[in-house]
Amino acid sequence: MKAVVFGPGRIGCGFVGQLLHASGYELVFVGRDAIADHLSRVGRYVVRLTDGCEDRDQEVPGVRALRTSDVEAVAAAIAEADLVAVSVGPRNLPAIAPLVAAGLRRRKTPLNVIAFENCTDPGVVLRDAVFTCAPSLREAGHGFSGALVSRIVTQRIGELEGDEPLVFLGDPTTSFIVHGPSLCEPFPHIEGLRAVDDYGAWATKKLYTFGAGHAAAAYFGALKGYRYVHSAIRDPEIRSAVLSAMEEGQRGLEQRYGPELAGDGAELEAIIARFENAALNDPVSRVGRDPRRKLGPEDRLVGAAHLAEEAGVSPRRLALAAAAAICFDCVGKPHAEAQERSETVHTVSGLDPQSGLGRQVSEAFTRIAEWREADNVLLSLKELVWSWARCPLMPQPVQLRKLG
Amino acid sequence: MKIGMLMTPHSTKRTSPLMSEVLALLEQWNVKVEVVYPDDRVTLLLGVRVEHDLYVLKAQTELAHSIAGALHAVGAPILNPWPVAVMMRDKVAAMRRLQAAGVPIPDTWLISSPQRLAALLEEGPLVIKPSRASKGHGARIVWDADELEDAILPGGGPLLAQRYHKPDGADEDDRKIYCIGGQLFGVLRKVSARTFREKCGEPFTITKELRDIAMRCADAFGVELFGVDLILRDGKPYVVDIHSFPGFKGVPDAALRLADYIYATARLAMAGRMIGGRDDDLAAPVAKARSA
Repeated sequence: MKAVVFGPGRIGCGFVGQLLHASGYELVFVGRDAIADHLSRVGRYVVRLTDGCEDRDQEVPGVRALRTSDVEAVAAAIAEADLVAVSVGPRNLPAIAPLVAAGLRRRKTPLNVIAFENCTDPGVVLRDAVFTCAPSLREAGHGFSGALVSRIVTQRIGELEGDEPLVFLGDPTTSFIVHGPSLCEPFPHIEGLRAVDDYGAWATKKLYTFGAGHAAAAYFGALKGYRYVHSAIRDPEIRSAVLSAMEEGQRGLEQRYGPELAGDGAELEAIIARFENAALNDPVSRVGRDPRRKLGPEDRLVGAAHLAEEAGVSPRRLALAAAAAICFDCVGKPHAEAQERSETVHTVSGLDPQSGLGRQVSEAFTRIAEWREADNVLLSLKELVWSWARCPLMPQPVQLRKLG
Repeated sequence: MKIGMLMTPHSTKRTSPLMSEVLALLEQWNVKVEVVYPDDRVTLLLGVRVEHDLYVLKAQTELAHSIAGALHAVGAPILNPWPVAVMMRDKVAAMRRLQAAGVPIPDTWLISSPQRLAALLEEGPLVIKPSRASKGHGARIVWDADELEDAILPGGGPLLAQRYHKPDGADEDDRKIYCIGGQLFGVLRKVSARTFREKCGEPFTITKELRDIAMRCADAFGVELFGVDLILRDGKPYVVDIHSFPGFKGVPDAALRLADYIYATARLAMAGRMIGGRDDDLAAPVAKARSA
């Protein structure tokens, strides 16, 4: 069996390629010149799976790679492939659609294309982009699905100029979810694959539990001055707040999709345990980046909070996490203007700062922003006690222990 | 990741669990930590070489400083740099450095023996302390010239005399500002503290003025890890001491914060981007903003 993998990056190599290899596929990567040339030259790479205590290296040998500019060779590879996997970043899906279309046009049999992208329904996005390039493919019976990846792959180690194999560092999780009805026969047999009918619900679950928790850990961690997620999550206040934020999202999921899909407390504890994995070297600055995207109306914080509200749960911790995300975005702007935060809440998150969730976020932000300075850190998330303040009063002791 | 910790043997009389917690956290994070007790072993000078990604100079003994100096000489990355640790231990050099950086300190004199201070006592009481000591060892307040006869301090060497300012507060509050990775933490401690919990004190929110003074201390030595003792007299702050690796008692989540900072610095060292450099990916957002 042969698989063409677009995007030899962290997920493409560190997750997709490793599982496909383990499932018996020969791999042809398609990527930018530098990494494609490296993989062609070296012919292998390593996935280092770490649970925080133990590392396990899995070599992925026999790798070929093509440059994206080599349209003819890429199309020929797709024509012979048993599967196409894509992990190029959601914004790049339209850019690779012509290449995928060129390959699919040469085929006589249907082919499954799975997009391992962190966005809403990437299979549909890619399918539509491919059909726009080649309308005749609409009737060809090809399968297009997104894939929800649970593995965290944080780093690529190694030099593209060198001859040593690259190493991709990630946690050992292998499962991923695809939309079964969107795929065609023959159905792909890949280690870790789980086909579901309600892909959207599972995507929402991942975003509103794991995604919300990961982002909350980063934003709360930044407020308290931690550098790594594995440190921040060991702070009892942050751990409790992150767990509460995920519980709020989970209650919303339960109301909408039922208890089986929503999962239980043990599942959330397992997520927290994954955040504790120091071997992933996951800096707060990396996990928290692009806060405006993460503050989108349907995204992990505001979307989860809406769902919680629908279930009659006050999304207090999600609102605080959203406020912390706005602060993260405002670092370096010591006194964010009221208009600016209003704009963020309103235009980015689609909330009315005067009522409901918008008001909760806005008020939480106001409480934080009042004291937030570039080098200031929170001593207590619960009581919003800061390391230093501009007030000219004599310093007063803070009974943190009594506040608990 | 390998970290070498230069420490003094833990006395059973001490109850501070800080370093034990730091070591436990680093080990949970898969860091290989080697604890070295310089005062408890024979060290072959030729054998002093860089064997770890980062060294942490916790011990403040003469021998520990010498070993750190030897490591420094062969290019070892040390979290709290050896030249700074040495200068902070020398109160004369440290106080002058702070003074030059615009940090308010009490009027300070350097003397060979206390008997020369009689004239100064006419202006008010003095604190006399050895120029090379830490944790207040050997310091005493002298109110009257009659006390000078008894004020000979152990150990010999130059002495430092500072004008004594009785701190504000009913219980003569002792204020500390600790810096961990460029982040500041104020702790208020009663001079009368006896139990470990009392000695931990209570955190307090630092004023802008104290924050600026602490940052001047940081800039004066180019470090992100230290502690200062200060007093407030009539609301006016005076820095009276500085330490390169204090105990951080009373800092909320001190062990976790310290471990996080050590881990991040070791990562920088492994990437060859330490010391004195700042890494944009790893620096906490607050620190990034400050540097900007």
